[in-house]
Amino acid sequence: MSAVLSVVEYDFRNFFRYKWWLVGLISMNLADLFIQALIYNNMLSSLVKETIKSYFTFFAPGLTVTGLFASAFMIGREINMERRREVHHYMLSLPMTRLQLAVGRVLSGGLRGMVYMIPLLLTCFAFLGLPNPTQLLLILAVLFLLALGISGLSIAIAVSTSSLEKFITARGAVYYALFFCSSVFYPLSLIQTLGSEGKFPIPLVVLAEINPLTNAADMIRSFLLGTPKFFGGMVLDVVIFSVIFTFIAAFAYIEIITRQV
Amino acid sequence: MRAIWFVSQIVLFGLIASQMVSVPDYYPYYVGGLAVMTLYSTAIYIGFDIYEEAEHGVFEYLLSLPVSRRQLALGRSIGGGLRAFIYVGPLMAVSLYVIHAFSPLNFLIAFLSLFLFAFGLSGMSITFAVLIKSSDRFDIFMGVLDALIVRLSTAMYPLAIVTQTNPLYGSLAQFNPVSFGSDLFRWGTGIGSIITFSNPLLPILGIVIFFSLFTFIGIFVYDKHIEGGGWQ
Repeated sequence: MSAVLSVVEYDFRNFFRYKWWLVGLISMNLADLFIQALIYNNMLSSLVKETIKSYFTFFAPGLTVTGLFASAFMIGREINMERRREVHHYMLSLPMTRLQLAVGRVLSGGLRGMVYMIPLLLTCFAFLGLPNPTQLLLILAVLFLLALGISGLSIAIAVSTSSLEKFITARGAVYYALFFCSSVFYPLSLIQTLGSEGKFPIPLVVLAEINPLTNAADMIRSFLLGTPKFFGGMVLDVVIFSVIFTFIAAFAYIEIITRQV
Repeated sequence: MRAIWFVSQIVLFGLIASQMVSVPDYYPYYVGGLAVMTLYSTAIYIGFDIYEEAEHGVFEYLLSLPVSRRQLALGRSIGGGLRAFIYVGPLMAVSLYVIHAFSPLNFLIAFLSLFLFAFGLSGMSITFAVLIKSSDRFDIFMGVLDALIVRLSTAMYPLAIVTQTNPLYGSLAQFNPVSFGSDLFRWGTGIGSIITFSNPLLPILGIVIFFSLFTFIGIFVYDKHIEGGGWQ
């Protein structure tokens, strides 16, 4: 366990090296909320207004989830850089098992996402109200699992791409597919309606439905806004995503970085 | 990465968001603004190159060239603007295809103004890069500036709605160069219903002022700050 904690500590030190960058990123997120969301609030169609009432309150949980996603994904960039600069040889020489190293990396990616996400979640609570203690625990648990899954996804991409350009391109494709095919920016019911009217491809509607960002954001909304209705599938979806990508990341990390030694 | 962002904004976000809002012709409106947002983010990239050149010692080589400092600064601004245009040109063509409209004379005027807009952005980026002197701080500063300048513009929403939301936001959007660029691009398409400014001369004038200000400030700052390793 102490070996895993050492890896987490190493990654957190790296994370806080970019503290001003993080401040910049948070201010950008807040600009999204206090400028863009407020303006969109005045543009909503009457049909959408019936579903979500206020875009500001609708978007705040979505923003929390996107912030978590972006920060948990940062670990991939560092691992990709370590691989290119062959720092992973040093990492492999440390007195710990490969599994401990891999688990430590996935865990620290997830924890870093949680640390970054906290101010955004508090902003969300400040404007939308507090959940009850059980709901709060469930929100934190689901967001932590989501962060682990994202960290795993990011690590899997990082070790599978040999150059920074390929990593950035793959990251862009994953980012935008998951962000825009989700209920982060617009209600899932709108995407489903567009799909049924033939205005949006059905595979992308399905992606939006099973997207863990959709389920995590909608779960927070269901607790704080009362809509959409909470159901167990929201949690199950995030758990499945997290389990799959945590294992894939650990396996890929061990396989790929030891292959070159 | 930017091309992926651009395409996903058109085929995913823009498409769905246009069904969410009550603004008529929002989809072409958004796609027009998107082209200018991409031009903005590409043109300001020259500032990051300046840090990379300083880090790799290319700055000294550039200073040793038989050109005056002013020529060098002006060349960097124009070069930064031009390469942004070369990159964004195909994306603008995609935007025009999606908008399904084109008014040749309007578009020619808009296109020339957007050239000045891109040169002005490069000049602005060079000015801040030379003044700030730290790539990390520059990165953060440009990120925050990007967040504010793009969101407080008419790139994504009409001026009337921005003003209705908050009069201060409206005042800032009214004098924002990204608003000028976005509206000119839309005016170039010839679709009247999606233009915010009633008179196209106003954004053209705004862009000329923006270009003049930042090109000349950029030259002055570059000229003053680079001697004797002053950029370090």
